[in-house]
Amino acid sequence: MLSNVFLKTLRDQRRSMVWWTTGLVAITMLTVLFYPSIKDSPELDDLLGDEDSIMRAFVGDVPDLTSPEGFLNSQLYFLLAPILLLVFAISAGSGAVAGEEEKGSLDLLFSHPVRRASVVLHKLAAMIVAILGLSFVLWLTVVVGALIVDMDIGMVRVAEATLSAALLASLFGALALALGCATGKRGMTIGVSGAVTVLTYFINALRPVADAIDPARFVSPFYYYIDADPISNGLDPVHALAMMAATVLLALAAVVTFERRDIAV
Amino acid sequence: MVLVIHTEKLTKDYGTNRALSEVELEVREGEVFGYLGPNGAGKSTTIRILLDFIRPTSGSANVFGLDSRADSEEIRRRTAYLPGDVVMYDRMTGAEVLTYFANLSGGVDQRYVAQLAERLRCDLTQPIKSLSRGNRQKIGLVQAFMHRSELIIMDEPSSGLDPLMQQEFYSLVEEVKSEGRTVFISSHIMPEVERVCDRVGIIRQGKLVTVEDIEVLKGRALHRLEFHFSEPVPREGFVDLPGVRDVTVEDTVVSCTVMGKPDALIKAAARFEVVKLVAHESSLEDVFLSYYGDGETDA
Repeated sequence: MLSNVFLKTLRDQRRSMVWWTTGLVAITMLTVLFYPSIKDSPELDDLLGDEDSIMRAFVGDVPDLTSPEGFLNSQLYFLLAPILLLVFAISAGSGAVAGEEEKGSLDLLFSHPVRRASVVLHKLAAMIVAILGLSFVLWLTVVVGALIVDMDIGMVRVAEATLSAALLASLFGALALALGCATGKRGMTIGVSGAVTVLTYFINALRPVADAIDPARFVSPFYYYIDADPISNGLDPVHALAMMAATVLLALAAVVTFERRDIAV
Repeated sequence: MVLVIHTEKLTKDYGTNRALSEVELEVREGEVFGYLGPNGAGKSTTIRILLDFIRPTSGSANVFGLDSRADSEEIRRRTAYLPGDVVMYDRMTGAEVLTYFANLSGGVDQRYVAQLAERLRCDLTQPIKSLSRGNRQKIGLVQAFMHRSELIIMDEPSSGLDPLMQQEFYSLVEEVKSEGRTVFISSHIMPEVERVCDRVGIIRQGKLVTVEDIEVLKGRALHRLEFHFSEPVPREGFVDLPGVRDVTVEDTVVSCTVMGKPDALIKAAARFEVVKLVAHESSLEDVFLSYYGDGETDA
């Protein structure tokens, strides 16, 4: 586990992964187990209100709340699941280079024959593997929970929605990585990444409510994540590719900015 | 004569602050070179440019004849480094940290690592965060020596080491030298470099003031000595002695500065009953500023 930067970074995450897995399973399972009390209450659908109700900013532009798809979208995939994965991703992305730089261990690392680009890419890869691991846990918990409460949902569709969330988290993790690579400042990186998360979430979420911001939806990663409703329709290949392309561009920016600057003491 | 390190007009600015100014440094293959200067003089800045952690504002640095920027990976493959502030991974044990760094450079001789750890009395089983500064420094030293690199660069290597371990460190440096490898040691205190270095470069306020053989420098070293006698002594016996200056005589106490051999002074003092002798270690400022003068008025 110590033979390269990628494996060592994964190894570093093992303790926090235990806690993340525990928390993710608990929150997801509690949410899914709540389904039986929702599904027999069609009157809950009235809560959604009409098409421009503010409710939709937090549960998504769903047709109902009581179908398995409507329930999972509104209760889990629209806000809760992506936020959990994003918090992990931003924490890992900002820690990867800026975190190690602030602790002061980058000097010793780079005194060995490793290239800056390769360290950045190894750390990015480790982060994405961890995100995929957590996403797998999320998927498994939803599938098991669905079996327990007898929810009629296909495990492939759940996998597609979860994968979409993993792509979104990877994108934000790459954003944090790039900001950390460019500045070397972890706190600032977390702050800016968090602000971008909130801003782009609301650009997408408030779209059905406020027509004025509708044209801005294309800049929101959340639009590509959920707008095609992957849990009902499957993963939209164009939207998935858009998220991947943005991740690649951010990774490139991380490498280029980090190659060019001085490492702080 | 092969140059292992060669810088030309090496300059580094931080904003308007010039950290390094046109430094021309030449370190020869197989020598132990001491890079001496007060804190903040630009020692670490020079080292960090050699390893491509930071980039020069102008000028160039070559290691093994390779450019510090274009061929950094190759330079770092052949160079080991001990940072001034040894920061490793808190949650990993010493053994894990060493394994990781060994793997990054393509593997090292494990028996040699074990040998080094034993000689420096390292506890490799504890997490780094539970170690004292001195013990962390020792793991840093094992790391710097274990690669058996052609060039070992060490920033303040013996800081935090107890005297016994300092001796062990000196003999490790001697061994490296006897194998024809090159050592570059930066320090702000004379004794650290005095023992092992062949040549010393003095850096001050970003400028390389001089490079001298250590023997020449030792001859110029200043010692502040203080004699306490059993009874008052005459001033005349202590002034005008060769190499002795700044003489003050107060009742039974004579203090003065000696440059080079203290022979004449000791003999002069021996005529009286000496009850106490205090020798102040010559500080860098004492040694060099007095000799080379103070070019900058603000220091």
